[in-house]
Amino acid sequence: MSGYIAFTKKEFTENIRNYRSLIMLVLFIFFGVSSPLLAKFSPQLVAAFAINIDITFAEPTALDAWAQFYKNISTLGLSLTIILFSSCLSSEYAKGTLTIMLTKGLSRKAVIMSKFSAAATITTISYWLSFGIAYGYTVHLWPDVELPHVVFAAFPVWVTVLLYLCILMLGCVLFRQAFTSILFLLVATVVMSLLGMASQFEAISPSFLVSKNVDLLSNTVTINQFAIPAITSIIISALLLILSIVTFRKKQL
Amino acid sequence: MNVLAIDGLSKSFGTQKVIDNLSLSVPEGAIFGFIGQNGSGKTTTMKMVLGLLKADNGTIQVCGETVNYGQTKTNRHIGYLPDVPEFYNYMRPLEYLALCSEIAGLSKSETMERSDELLALVGLAGLKKRIGGFSRGMKQRLGIAQALLSHPALLICDEPTSALDPVGRKEILEILMKIKGSTTVIFSTHILSDVERICDRVAVLHNGGIAVSGTLSEIKALHGQDSLFLQFSANDEVERFIACETISPLLLGAEVNETEIALHGADMNYIQHSVIAALAQLCLCPSKMELAEPTLENLFLEVVQ
Repeated sequence: MSGYIAFTKKEFTENIRNYRSLIMLVLFIFFGVSSPLLAKFSPQLVAAFAINIDITFAEPTALDAWAQFYKNISTLGLSLTIILFSSCLSSEYAKGTLTIMLTKGLSRKAVIMSKFSAAATITTISYWLSFGIAYGYTVHLWPDVELPHVVFAAFPVWVTVLLYLCILMLGCVLFRQAFTSILFLLVATVVMSLLGMASQFEAISPSFLVSKNVDLLSNTVTINQFAIPAITSIIISALLLILSIVTFRKKQL
Repeated sequence: MNVLAIDGLSKSFGTQKVIDNLSLSVPEGAIFGFIGQNGSGKTTTMKMVLGLLKADNGTIQVCGETVNYGQTKTNRHIGYLPDVPEFYNYMRPLEYLALCSEIAGLSKSETMERSDELLALVGLAGLKKRIGGFSRGMKQRLGIAQALLSHPALLICDEPTSALDPVGRKEILEILMKIKGSTTVIFSTHILSDVERICDRVAVLHNGGIAVSGTLSEIKALHGQDSLFLQFSANDEVERFIACETISPLLLGAEVNETEIALHGADMNYIQHSVIAALAQLCLCPSKMELAEPTLENLFLEVVQ
């Protein structure tokens, strides 16, 4: 346990000193600010740039703002998070910095758990901060609109982001290079979305969490429908972490 | 008591057998020189001792406890200095040692005291800059400091001097001499003069096994002969010397090279007496006469060839 605490502290120091935390915060704050603003003002922006074309837009709604926010988070935000954390183990392999730590008696389980804890904490803080900002702006720009389940709708995406971090951890343990870990994650994503398309898996697949969470705001899905995909996602995340630890124990360094 | 005991160790990478039925023991308090050519398997052996590589066969015991691959329990007895130690570049020396001590389970006060003591020992005391700006020699010294943090019974140094300049090498060897007695040291290298300078026991790794091992003097006595080296000023003097009756029985295995001649034998006293008698009888004065002890280098070459 002392090894885990010490190594987690080191992970946080590392993420602060190599600016990973800062980049994450800036990125997610940007998404939080830009999504509602873009949704609100994109008709004016387009109109300003395309003077000669006559386009009529429907009046943007708060729902558009949230759709924009989750689209940004689940595509660009998630990709950048993965890219930023993909080197968390590969740089240690490449430089051999883990050798001394392990010979000091640090368990391999602690290495994986510390890496995951730090990545998950930084991502969680960035994500909820981003959500808070988006929430504030949306309320500010559409003061009269009351959407249902606004806070709850943020949870499924958060669970998915953590699932992706767990897939990345396994990728990092399996492959020595950051690039291959990302490739592994891409393959896993494709497999998950294919499974999500199959009608018998749709209601339980983790992909439901990001594809349907905005529908909560328009009341086209119910909260209950998220229970099983969320549980599936959490179980898969836990299994992935366990698998990462087991694999890492067998890895020759 | 043996701090390290290796029995019947084997390891292959693919079809290449790197370590083949290696057995070795290191007694407490020794500075043990582990000699071998590049690629002979020194690092592989050390990594197996540390549980970082999986052995195909054989057992390894550290302080009486068996080493299991992937587990790090026995590593609490060991301090390890990798050949090119790498640290977290964004840390300062004290921060790095604090991280190491926390992992090793040292208390806060112990950490402070030990860090100061060790940084002073390796000559890095008071240095505040980040490790990223360290020279190779400084990293090597910090490597020794971290390895000694938790008072290990066994310090394993993997070629600690190979990549250093003469000053850096001298400093590392001096540090190792300072800790002699309190810690058993295994010191792998292919620089033989370093071994002769600080080691009291040696083992030569060749073809995956231990070719020779023992104390330095034992090995020299067993495997190398003393020799007497003579140099004359002209070729005909050498011819007259060789032709002498007293000398001819000593010529077995002797090397003659123009004006030089090297005589080998176990009984150096007898050879010296005979040579001096012959020189007196022939009225010859060699320009140089030297008694040469077997060097570790000759011995090493003898073993690996």
